[in-house]
Amino acid sequence: MGPFFKIFLFFIFTLAACGQAQAKLYVVTTTTDLRALVSEIGQEFVTVDSIAKGTQDPHYIEAKPSFMTKVNRADLLISIGLDLEIGWLPNIIQGARNPKVLKGQKGYLEVGPLVEPLEVPTGKISRAQGDVHPDGNPHVTLDPIRVGQIALFIAERLGQLDLEHQEIFIKNAKIMQTRLQDKVKIWQATIDQSGVKKIVTYHKTLSYFLNRFNLENSAILEPKPGIPPTSGHIIEIIQQIKEQKIPLILVENYFDPTVTEKIKNRVPTVRSATVMVAVDGGPNVSTLDALFEHLVDTINGR
Amino acid sequence: MNTFVKVFMIIIFGIPVAWSQNPQTRGKVFNPDISANFLGLFQRGTALSEDRTQVPHNGLSLQEAELQFTSDVDAYFKGTALLGIAQESGSTEYGIDPEEVYFETLNLPHVTLRAGQFKLALGKHNTLHPHAYPFIDAPLIHQQLTGDEGLVESALSAAILLPTSWYSELILQVITLSNEDLFQSPSSGQTGTLAHFKNLWDLTDDLTLEIGLSGVTGKNQFAKTSTLLAGDLTFKWRPAEGGKYHAFIWSSEFLDGKRKGLTDEVTGDSAEHLGGMATWIQYQFAARWWVQTRYEKMGLPHPASIPSQEKQSALLAFYPSEFSGFRFQYDHLKTQGSADDDHTFSLQFNISVGAHPAHVY
Repeated sequence: MGPFFKIFLFFIFTLAACGQAQAKLYVVTTTTDLRALVSEIGQEFVTVDSIAKGTQDPHYIEAKPSFMTKVNRADLLISIGLDLEIGWLPNIIQGARNPKVLKGQKGYLEVGPLVEPLEVPTGKISRAQGDVHPDGNPHVTLDPIRVGQIALFIAERLGQLDLEHQEIFIKNAKIMQTRLQDKVKIWQATIDQSGVKKIVTYHKTLSYFLNRFNLENSAILEPKPGIPPTSGHIIEIIQQIKEQKIPLILVENYFDPTVTEKIKNRVPTVRSATVMVAVDGGPNVSTLDALFEHLVDTINGR
Repeated sequence: MNTFVKVFMIIIFGIPVAWSQNPQTRGKVFNPDISANFLGLFQRGTALSEDRTQVPHNGLSLQEAELQFTSDVDAYFKGTALLGIAQESGSTEYGIDPEEVYFETLNLPHVTLRAGQFKLALGKHNTLHPHAYPFIDAPLIHQQLTGDEGLVESALSAAILLPTSWYSELILQVITLSNEDLFQSPSSGQTGTLAHFKNLWDLTDDLTLEIGLSGVTGKNQFAKTSTLLAGDLTFKWRPAEGGKYHAFIWSSEFLDGKRKGLTDEVTGDSAEHLGGMATWIQYQFAARWWVQTRYEKMGLPHPASIPSQEKQSALLAFYPSEFSGFRFQYDHLKTQGSADDDHTFSLQFNISVGAHPAHVY
């Protein structure tokens, strides 16, 4: 046996021995919204980290090797799916070398496909349509009702991995779901009072939120998903805002908001705001409830 | 069956897996991810030939096309085949080369085993394909020591993620010795070895530091030993806020090659020891725009028979999307003993179709 093979075998068996059980479940999530969910459901029985930060566009995260180190130690990896993380998560999973979190294993959970995605394209799609998601819009965690459903899926999976605390996880998820269902009624009333019915956004990030609260996403500043606004498209948007009397433009906080200045110069009555669209997207938004309240308050002009 | 193969089989097949059974047994779902990439190039250079059989040459050309097929093979392995189509020097014909064809393990803890033909883990640049090069061309020292294609060999590889709090990876490879510039071993039975040690630290949420050390050794055509050592250092900054619009990368790579027995064909002088370095900066100043600069020194040290070279490059890149890019590059090359410097202007388009690319950090 040559020296290379001896070294090789030494590392294989040494590292295999490193996979010892941890006291608490260690969960890695792709987004901060999912991290907030796991944190509330798992409480002191779970340690959780997110790969993306709340200030980052989750479509374009870089597959930093340090994320692979985290996923290597994870008992559970939770992602949105629906191709949100397609540009970076496969590399992280491949580099993590952790068989527990491979697709199909108990340690891998994709929540987006479980909660009836919106905007699933029909007919033939191509990249000429921009950055389309063939299985639907992936920003599912901006709907409080779907968040409640996701909480139950996460609790169920946590319970499978930690039978001892299964009931606590399910109980916490149900409490969260009920709380959000109750708050949706209050938030709906607040939005209704604002008089806002139509909103322009930069990207289709807020589709689920707007759909839940019966708001119309009348126009998108991106001419196509993932394509930055062009002058010609902005002129069309200005025309739409004037004709449809759209009162509000919301720009997700990882996009450049300066484009709205041009619109406001031409339509002084339109209001624009930069909004956080993920937990920890800014100060005082460290929970999903706070995130939804921030969005409701912004629409309401507070 | 030798000991290594027995252990390999036990490790691979002895680990229980619990893949969910997909009821769909036919149709597109099992097709591999397929993508094609092509690089078009227009060049105008004082040292470039007007002869279109030369690579590179003045004027328009298809620099390279690549076809990639990737898929899980079964519950144990993932397979990748990457075929390169490029012009053969001395002809206007294009040939197909299996740039990388390999399979690797999916479900081993802490380690990925790989077998096949692939780009060896020597430094950082050698693992890149031309469409992912930071500049239109490879650094001079890489071209000089490992050839136009880089160091590609049939090999067995173990990439081990070490149990540290930062990213630390050790790659060990047993390789064939066919590379014409470094080895060209006459015996197909001879093998060489390669080791690569890569470490990456998150200095802050926005800034990473990567340090890599690697070395490869094996017998060459003179029945002596060729050894190539490489060191690489990369700082990468992309802010968590505003990171769609700004990023900064500073990379450096140093190669030192000793090809024992190599002599200058004309003078007979030794040409054994050759080293060099390249350092480059990439700055993203808008969502789709990058500006870059590179300095290279080939000949640190260098034998008398190989003149040293210094090169400065500047590049402006525009990427309309993740799938298309246009790059304009200017190179200034100064060669020891040459009265005239060389100047080259290059315009490249880089187009990808098919499966979404996975972005390597």
